[in-house]
Amino acid sequence: MRIFRIINRRIHSLLHHSHADAELQREIEIHIQQLMHEARAAGMTEADARAMAAREFGPIEQIKDKCRETRRVSWIQDFTQDLRYGIRLLRESPGFTAVSVLTLALGIGANTAIFSIVDAVLLRALPYPDPDQLVLMFDVPLKGPDVLSAISYRDFRECREQNRVFSEMAGNTFHDLTLTGAGEPSIVNTADVTPEIFSLLNAKPLAGRTLLPEDGKPGAPAVAVVSENLWRGRFGSNPALIGQSIALDMRAFTVVGILPASFRYPEGAPQQEVWISVMQDPLFGPLTSQPGVRLLGVMGRLKPGVSLAKAQAEMNILGARLAKQFPAEDAGLAMRIKPYRQEVVGNLKSALLILLGAVGLVLLMACANVANLLLSQATSRGREIAMRIALGASRGRIVRQLLAESALLGFLGGAAGVLLAFCAVRILEPFLPSEVVRISSIHIGGPVLAFALWLSMAAALAFGLAPALVATPSNLEKSIKEGGERTGQRGGRQLRSFLAIAEIALATVLLIAGGLLIRSFALVTNVNPGFDPKNVTEAEVSLPQFQYSTPRQWTAFSNELLARLHALPGFEDSALAAPLPMDRQGEANFAFTIVGNPKLAPGKSTTADYATVSPEYFRVMRIPLLRGRFFSEMDSPSNPNVAIISETLARRYFPGQEPVGKQMRFGFPPNSDVPREIVGIVGDVRDVALSQKPGPAMYVPFAQAPLYGGEVVVRSSLSASSVAAAIRRAVHSIDKALPVTDVQSFPEALGRSIARERFRTVLLGSFGAIALALAAVGIFGVVSYAASQRTHEIGIRMAVGAQQRDVLRLILGEGAKLALFGLGTGVVLALVATRLIASLLYSVSTTDPLTFGTVIIVLLGVAVTACYIPARRAMRVDPMVALRYQ
Amino acid sequence: MILKTIARKPMHGWGIAKRIQTLSGDTLAVGQGSLYPALHRLENQGWISAEWEESDLGRPAKVYALTREGRKQLERELKSWNRLSSAVHLLIQNA
Repeated sequence: MRIFRIINRRIHSLLHHSHADAELQREIEIHIQQLMHEARAAGMTEADARAMAAREFGPIEQIKDKCRETRRVSWIQDFTQDLRYGIRLLRESPGFTAVSVLTLALGIGANTAIFSIVDAVLLRALPYPDPDQLVLMFDVPLKGPDVLSAISYRDFRECREQNRVFSEMAGNTFHDLTLTGAGEPSIVNTADVTPEIFSLLNAKPLAGRTLLPEDGKPGAPAVAVVSENLWRGRFGSNPALIGQSIALDMRAFTVVGILPASFRYPEGAPQQEVWISVMQDPLFGPLTSQPGVRLLGVMGRLKPGVSLAKAQAEMNILGARLAKQFPAEDAGLAMRIKPYRQEVVGNLKSALLILLGAVGLVLLMACANVANLLLSQATSRGREIAMRIALGASRGRIVRQLLAESALLGFLGGAAGVLLAFCAVRILEPFLPSEVVRISSIHIGGPVLAFALWLSMAAALAFGLAPALVATPSNLEKSIKEGGERTGQRGGRQLRSFLAIAEIALATVLLIAGGLLIRSFALVTNVNPGFDPKNVTEAEVSLPQFQYSTPRQWTAFSNELLARLHALPGFEDSALAAPLPMDRQGEANFAFTIVGNPKLAPGKSTTADYATVSPEYFRVMRIPLLRGRFFSEMDSPSNPNVAIISETLARRYFPGQEPVGKQMRFGFPPNSDVPREIVGIVGDVRDVALSQKPGPAMYVPFAQAPLYGGEVVVRSSLSASSVAAAIRRAVHSIDKALPVTDVQSFPEALGRSIARERFRTVLLGSFGAIALALAAVGIFGVVSYAASQRTHEIGIRMAVGAQQRDVLRLILGEGAKLALFGLGTGVVLALVATRLIASLLYSVSTTDPLTFGTVIIVLLGVAVTACYIPARRAMRVDPMVALRYQ
Repeated sequence: MILKTIARKPMHGWGIAKRIQTLSGDTLAVGQGSLYPALHRLENQGWISAEWEESDLGRPAKVYALTREGRKQLERELKSWNRLSSAVHLLIQNA
């Protein structure tokens, strides 16, 4: 009750303070008039009565002030007054304002931009209800619980029916299908799902329905759900699409529903276009009846209140039961579950936190710089401040006023920073690794703006407090005597030196971290991938399987296509392969055995990356032949099966032997047990990532292991676009209904494979650059201010015979001292900090002497240059002028 | 003191000053103006409330009245004052 009355009073007096003042005035007037009235009644004259009343009442203005103070809101009025004063001050020194606001904007902008990514990836909830109940499920070998693999359709069914911990469980896999009929034939990203996935993710259709459990039964009619984007782009938003039939891989599917664009499919596919039952997929449909084929990624939703540990325990029991029941396929396997969020965010988390830390250092430096600027301002305002204290302002009141000015600066800097962050996010977007964008879109919304505001105010306090305290002298008399010039100079100077040292130290850390990443990136991009991507164009061709259903048709098509491509002018060489190095769809890795070697222990296997290639492939890619021969036209289905292996495979698995002439058993399932004779050894290729050392690899001739499509690679000196057009024409001259997708030059594709490295490097590199600039400005500010303060002293020195050189040395020496202190601290900090980024580095040690050396030299150079300008100015001091100074 | 003065009936500033003067027999007559900061503080702390009302002065004046919380506060203050004064009394008597 009382508290409400108090609050009410305070708000009232805040909002209506002029009204309250008027009331107070009136109340006092009444009292005085009453006093005068009494006095007159006692027979005094008008003037005497007035004097008497004033005496009786006391000092009116002081009393009024005391009354006002009881309202306890004066600080807010003071604050607005301070702000007004602050704005006037900032307007008066536009240079100072611009530099501070810009510095802060850089710091806050960079932080806000990075935070917007952190917000999108780590903080924002996944776009599903109760996302923390979602888990992914994998088969893992008992002996290697980190080797995750998909689950067979039969095991999925068993788990779904037998478990008691999941409220729902669904499987999915992906397959690109060819959509024909409406416009150009094109590849559509298709998810092969079990129908439960829609209720699991709470997907609500825009129109029609999603898949029902009946649609997932074998033999059900073929139906499809399409995305809103496909519906708008391809079918012109035709509302009658539902119920119509579309052709996927030349087979009719009835459209039953449209999913809204806001629905984000997991593993995402932001461009997911079509959903069908896995039973209806031309490739995977038949495989669902093979219990040895692990094709489904499985997702489950935990029942409310079921912990992860409990679910894992249940899956352990289920896994053991399956292994017992189906020893042929499931012996030696266990089931493992992982929280969905962990899987999505994965290793992005540590990288992002490192970036956030780095960008935090940038902000610290920006604060240090502004603190420095404020400090010099406050010092020169010493006389004004001393005067105000003398007139009765309390120290706290002055500190409050200076802090209000910092808050104003912080706010301006924050606003500019948010603008900067908007631009930065735009610029950064193309550099973002695809998995970042996949999770959720990056935008500067409420939480990010709140973060920026909080950051600005925290920064304002950080850079404003120290100068404010230093500027308000404890010894008033002395500072007025000294004319304010030296007010707080001593404390100020120490503080400024400290700030400069801290800035250089932070810059050292950031530059070394950035330098290490840049060096590592340079090494990655210059690494020899084992093939020559220059002048190579790739394009994906895939054959609809309902129409091209037999391997014979696949081979016939590829022979025909290659023959037409060979005939084209300007095409040096062309070949077909699946998969290519750094393939968008990932690499194929299969088990192999060497004929004649003792049988491997159960549960152990040897694997190598697999590719099926046409004879010209090695020539197109310029992969060197080390021994034996390449494939030739002779390696046809009617002749003995052959293989080519990579140098690493030969070295690792045929130590001290000649592999050529030996036999290995491997192949694309289901032909995984076919013996093939090794006819050649080729150089190693980095196929998974440029930063990954090449593993063992094995190749088979396309004619002996055909697929329903593959990647065409063409070496040509023609422009990539004309090569692309020629490939399209050649494909369409064979079959008008075939899509050609993902046409790009090979170097472009490689660039995409190192997107993440490039992102980190660009960011940390630019933080380093900003840090360097801030440090330069910081040390310049400190040294030039110190030099100008010492003008008097320098004048005396020169008057008694000091040379210009001595003055130069004096000033430079001071700067160098700061720089060396800063560098020393920075290097020590960097030795600790770079350990955090060890996992991001490729063949560069965290203490790489080259990087450390370069950074030290660059920073020293910048520091000396920054000191040289004020030093020269000091050197030119005219002793006579200097002595008259002050 | 002020609380006690207006506990009987709501009063305006002039009346309070007069009353304190008469009750204390002019011994406590401080500058009458210093009454106002005290009144405002009490008002801002919620012990008393104020209204502009027609008054015996022939024009509207700000009239102060005790609130419920103020009455409680008064009791507390009186108790502690009584304790203190009786302690002082004892001390003076027995010293």
